[in-house]
Amino acid sequence: MPKMVFIERDGTRKEVEAPIGLSVLEIAHRNDIDLEGACEGSLACSTCHVVVEPEWSDMLVEPTDDEEDMLDLAFGLTKTSRLGCQIKMTDELDGLTVRLPTGSRNMMLGD
Amino acid sequence: MTRKTPQGRSNRPRLPIYLDYQATTPVDPRVLAAMLPYFTEKFGNPGSTSHSFGREAALAVENARGQLAEIIGADPREIVFTSGATESNNLAIKGAANFAHETRRHVITAATEHKCVLESCRALEDQGFRVTYLPVERNGLVDIQRLEDEIGDDTLLVSIMAVNNEIGVIQPLAEIGALCRAHGAYFHCDAAQAIGRIALDVDAMAIDLLSISGHKIYGPKGVGALYVRRRPRVRLAPLLSGGGQERGLRSGTLPTPLCVGIGIAATIAGAEMADEAARLRDLRERLYSGLKERIPDLVVNGDEEHRIAGNLNISFPGIDAEVLMENLGDLAVSTGSACTSASVEPSYVLRAIGLDDTLARASLRFGLGRFTQAAEIDYATQAIADAVERLRLGTAGFPAGERIESR
Repeated sequence: MPKMVFIERDGTRKEVEAPIGLSVLEIAHRNDIDLEGACEGSLACSTCHVVVEPEWSDMLVEPTDDEEDMLDLAFGLTKTSRLGCQIKMTDELDGLTVRLPTGSRNMMLGD
Repeated sequence: MTRKTPQGRSNRPRLPIYLDYQATTPVDPRVLAAMLPYFTEKFGNPGSTSHSFGREAALAVENARGQLAEIIGADPREIVFTSGATESNNLAIKGAANFAHETRRHVITAATEHKCVLESCRALEDQGFRVTYLPVERNGLVDIQRLEDEIGDDTLLVSIMAVNNEIGVIQPLAEIGALCRAHGAYFHCDAAQAIGRIALDVDAMAIDLLSISGHKIYGPKGVGALYVRRRPRVRLAPLLSGGGQERGLRSGTLPTPLCVGIGIAATIAGAEMADEAARLRDLRERLYSGLKERIPDLVVNGDEEHRIAGNLNISFPGIDAEVLMENLGDLAVSTGSACTSASVEPSYVLRAIGLDDTLARASLRFGLGRFTQAAEIDYATQAIADAVERLRLGTAGFPAGERIESR
């Protein structure tokens, strides 16, 4: 089974099993990762905002306008921000690494 | 029989004559009429959608958003209201730069841009961005080849204005846009002087960010807009923190009457653009040919073909434009940008197109607009030519007093 990694707000890396077809949000919930997902994946909020590690960003399916609209409202948005509910696990994404946003808009800057 | 003096004309226009339409324009009476109810009975906060007052205002604001979108071929959701083109330019340039760009740390602009663009870029330099200030050719246009040489995969943003505020030249926007798109750089266009003067289409010109001003298009001062492309999405860091209005890009309660004003002003500008341009082209030609006849050595600054109809920037060799203006008390003209005209420095725009300091100081900007009349142009032509001749003869000691006595 593919795996994926969540980098939690304190920097802890948590590697978990990532069944194919499940969303990053669903995988987070199965593993007690602190990702909210208030609208349960219906593209009505941005509380499952994750920052995809840059090397994985280009491998994801492009976001829809609806996802982009919700991301506009996300706190701490970055270039590689996505909604966890919209990333579906595939074989190619084995090893996918996402970061829980810390709220600083400039977190991708500097070192 | 001596030639007719301006005072002797039968169709003498009302004085003073306003010939500074690039500095600002009067609010069109139709625009004012549309705005007025939103100051008084329709005063609701467009953010207060829980009651009819707020919804009425919100409806008016959204209608205005649609009007602005239409004139540039955009979607209403891509329009963000601001306080004016200066804020729009700041938001576009600083906002793009501040939105986490770890790899693209280069910005390109042109030497003849408005001060608020140049100063915003200057501010980015302090943050470690590399900024290229492109020179322009003698006609005031950006050299596309030069832009192509400078643009690279590290270029975040190219900021080039549509129409220059001093010399009225129109930049090759579609070519610039195509270059930016090919290199993945944002194309920001300050269109403050272009709305209602030339046709603009953000898709055809591959523009990602576009600044609009209310008071340059016969709308109110204190309001502007920024077009922010949605697909592919352009993301900006806001300049202001607050309630998250305008998609979070520009917090603060929207000024409904001003939004209504800029919206209707845009619609009128679009509808009347062709007729207005034709009329202004005739008036400009009348001014130019009248002056040229009396002052054969005058020089027109800026490209003669790629320019808006309502602008004429002229150098009068051997004349100090400041002194000339003092001799033209009935005419409201300027030596250049109102924003920098307090300074004694000659125009940086004119120097950028190759004028030496003396010739730059010998230059006046004439801005013609919606309410300019032929009689005003005739009066102005004669007054300017008379003053230049007097100054050249060295007999312009007390021109203002002389004219007052003869009235």
